[in-house]
Amino acid sequence: MKRPKLPKSTIECPTCDKASGLPLFGNGFSRRRFLKVAGTGLVASYFADVLDPGILRAQTAPSVSLHNTAKNCIFVFLPGAPSNIDTWDLKEGAWTPSDFNPTSYDSGSVRFPQGLMPQTAAHLDKLTFIRGGLSWAAVHPLGQSWAQIARNPGGATGSIAPHIGAVVSLESQAKRAITDVLPGFIALNSAGIPASGYFPATYAPFQVTPAAAGLPTITPPDGATRFTNRWNELHLVDTNRSTGALAKKSLDMDDFYTQSKTLMDAPNINATFSFTPGESTRYGGTTTGDAMIVARNLVAARKGTRFVQVTFGGWDHHSGIYDKPAGTNSNVNSLYTQCAEFDPAFGALLTDLASMPGSVAGKTLLDETLVVVLAEFGRTVGALNDQAGRDHNLRMSTVWAGGCVRGGRVIGKTDATGNNVTDYQWSGNRDVRPEDVVSTIYSALGIDYTTIRHDDPLNRGFEYVPFASAGTYKPVDELW
Amino acid sequence: MWFGDLVQNVQAATNSREFYEGRNAYYTWIRQEIHDGVPYDQMVRDQIAGAGDSFATGNANFVVRQLQNNGPPQDTFDNLATFTGDKYLGMPLLCLSCHGGLGHLELVNLYLQKKSRQDLWGMSAFFSRTKAQAMAGGDPNNPNAKKWLVSDLTSGSYLLNTTSGNKTPRCPPDPVTGACAVPLPAPVNPVYLFTGETPRPNEPYRQAFGRMVTADRQFARATVNYLWKEMYGMGLVEPVNSFDLLRLDPNNLPAGQTVQPVNPQLLEDLTTSFIQSGFSLRAILRTMATSNTYQLSSQYAPGNWNEGWTPYFARHYPHRLQAEMLLDAVAKSTSVPVTYNVNGIGTVSKAMQLPDTTDPRGNAYGRFLDELGRGDRDQTARTNDTSIAQALSLMNDQIIVVSRVHKNTAGSTVAKVLASTTDPGTIADQLYLNTLSRYPTAAERQLAITYLKSGTLQQTTEDYQWVLINHLEFLFD
Repeated sequence: MKRPKLPKSTIECPTCDKASGLPLFGNGFSRRRFLKVAGTGLVASYFADVLDPGILRAQTAPSVSLHNTAKNCIFVFLPGAPSNIDTWDLKEGAWTPSDFNPTSYDSGSVRFPQGLMPQTAAHLDKLTFIRGGLSWAAVHPLGQSWAQIARNPGGATGSIAPHIGAVVSLESQAKRAITDVLPGFIALNSAGIPASGYFPATYAPFQVTPAAAGLPTITPPDGATRFTNRWNELHLVDTNRSTGALAKKSLDMDDFYTQSKTLMDAPNINATFSFTPGESTRYGGTTTGDAMIVARNLVAARKGTRFVQVTFGGWDHHSGIYDKPAGTNSNVNSLYTQCAEFDPAFGALLTDLASMPGSVAGKTLLDETLVVVLAEFGRTVGALNDQAGRDHNLRMSTVWAGGCVRGGRVIGKTDATGNNVTDYQWSGNRDVRPEDVVSTIYSALGIDYTTIRHDDPLNRGFEYVPFASAGTYKPVDELW
Repeated sequence: MWFGDLVQNVQAATNSREFYEGRNAYYTWIRQEIHDGVPYDQMVRDQIAGAGDSFATGNANFVVRQLQNNGPPQDTFDNLATFTGDKYLGMPLLCLSCHGGLGHLELVNLYLQKKSRQDLWGMSAFFSRTKAQAMAGGDPNNPNAKKWLVSDLTSGSYLLNTTSGNKTPRCPPDPVTGACAVPLPAPVNPVYLFTGETPRPNEPYRQAFGRMVTADRQFARATVNYLWKEMYGMGLVEPVNSFDLLRLDPNNLPAGQTVQPVNPQLLEDLTTSFIQSGFSLRAILRTMATSNTYQLSSQYAPGNWNEGWTPYFARHYPHRLQAEMLLDAVAKSTSVPVTYNVNGIGTVSKAMQLPDTTDPRGNAYGRFLDELGRGDRDQTARTNDTSIAQALSLMNDQIIVVSRVHKNTAGSTVAKVLASTTDPGTIADQLYLNTLSRYPTAAERQLAITYLKSGTLQQTTEDYQWVLINHLEFLFD
């Protein structure tokens, strides 16, 4: 059951018109909830998770305004965590290599290492960096899960929580057309990410390792006729398949068979997963580049995929962060090698999305696709450590484009070190937590991030975004 | 496979590299210990105190696996203590390696919420005399491999003198230099967090730690819970590494708290049974496997079952065969084996004999095992969740399934059956026996005969084994 929604004041994408009257959030929502809970006598540090959802059910639904400016989200995840002050929040110092060749923009107040990421630099007019980000955990697995399930993996609902892409997939289910044969959530090069949690497996990430020929298993090798015969016989013989007599997991499996069949029967579906050598080269000729091509194809296809994750790890540069591959030593992994893979892929993605038509005349695919780039945390600031690297650090930035986000800006000013925020430039006026990032994504996609579902196995109430221990998590509306 | 997953024996991980030589040594050690029926507490003690050449002494790789090469040695000591806590005590000690419980773990773990980083350092200090020295591996086939010589020093304690690495500073930093302010806090000596016990005079620290851990009832409790999960798909405490010692006793709960195990009495009885058996894995697994609970039927009339009852084990809850088992089952039922080449071991013919989850890679079998959720024994845990990708591979993968049911594939079950008979009833019996390990029911047999007669016998026979491989009864147990 969802919280009854008030009429949403939304901007129908893709108008991308700032003047269309975005209703900014009041703080009535958070304050009302806070007072109600505080009045029950729970100590403040507890109400984040032990709060009885019943209290909330009894409450008048507060006003929630959603941006609803994006139809799709491409979620680019960089586990390992790139250095924040060498990339999205460049802080120049004695350590900065000269070939970073920074460029200035936004009236000269913002610097970007165009030498490191030349193709991304060409799209700075489309990008907005939120610089006041702060991770909760400087441990990779914890931080990574946290960013992808919007809550503490060790907290009350951590073990049942679906990936945020699964929430998007579930939320888009009602809007699916008969031609929407693709899974709502497709994950590229993302083996091992969180899955559907307690949601049905239908909403789990469909994992694809991009290859030029597309999906290797989408065509039956013995031909369509024999496949149909086999399929029909299977369903005749395996009587427990769809009855649920073998419990939920078997139903999930049957569900996946059905979805697979639908996928196989759809015309030209493999073209969505395929690409030409020329395209691959233009995206950098790497696995990440190939994934960006498929991500582009998936949102362009409009066949039901709403959330695409591209995962590109290997940023854990504790040592040799500025090393360059030289001569026969091709084993170097540094910011240079990582950006050499990321930059052409990301640049080409933005170029293509911005030049492809959206579903409304005159608008582009980028206008209706929110692109977010983030990692689980940032890295230490200032001079490099004694192994010429940077270690884990909570301060981080997130990168936003498309979905009617106004580009060419930064939100949040940091001090000279890059470790402290001097002006959040956000109505929240505090650190932007992973939960706020997810609230923002949900709002962009028109998903009520204050939803509490009451179908969770803990019978506790599952919040799309959990309650904060200080105030309420909320979108960064200043992006729009 | 289960124990290899538990201790995360893998040739290369984020933190450290055992190399295939070390992995093989560890794998061989585990295999031999299980084969010999070595009591589990002894196995664990031998790993915690494992010493020697990591390529030759399997149990020395317990330490090697936790080496943190990008930080001070205290990071490695913390890894060893928290890994032990996680895998042998089922408790999330990792949290305490960066910060105290107060203000952090209120919602996660009441017991650990009352503990401090200093308490965790007392655990880590048991490893403060552990030395791991890198040496040339000496393997002519793998000249880049490094091995480790793990040994124990006779002096040393856990110093609070670090400000860099993977953990928050262990000392109050000087506001100007950022380095540790002087004087440093006193070094930490080993103290077992749960009892306050310290090593006996002249007792090597790691041996003392192994002794205390395995004497702790929580060690047996956590272990039976891990094993229960392996047998039933879900632990009596979930997640299995989240034990909260203050929430185990239903008659002595802190105000406002709920009891953590779904069946506290069962958990305690299993724990006692495991201890009384002398920590015999075979005995406790036999107890579980022969129990009424394990023998319950998996079938339940639809509508009469509530998924919310799942944690109470009122039925057998079928789960998909784990990755390696399923691949082995396909190979066995079709009589077309897979040959896996494993560095340093040679060829093995079963996926269950693979020493870790990173071989094979880059071929159809590796992809299939990845799709089936074998994990990487590093940052991705094993799962038996299902997916579209799995369904597509089981239906359409030429190498894994489709060619294996072909008569023209040498030695295939279909080839053998068709060579021996052309009678549809006999073919049906043979296919059921080979694939589902049982005869068809009368109704199933009739369906099969009808289908087998519906086209050329070769094709319909091939089709039929495909059907049985995609049958839920084949995929789940």
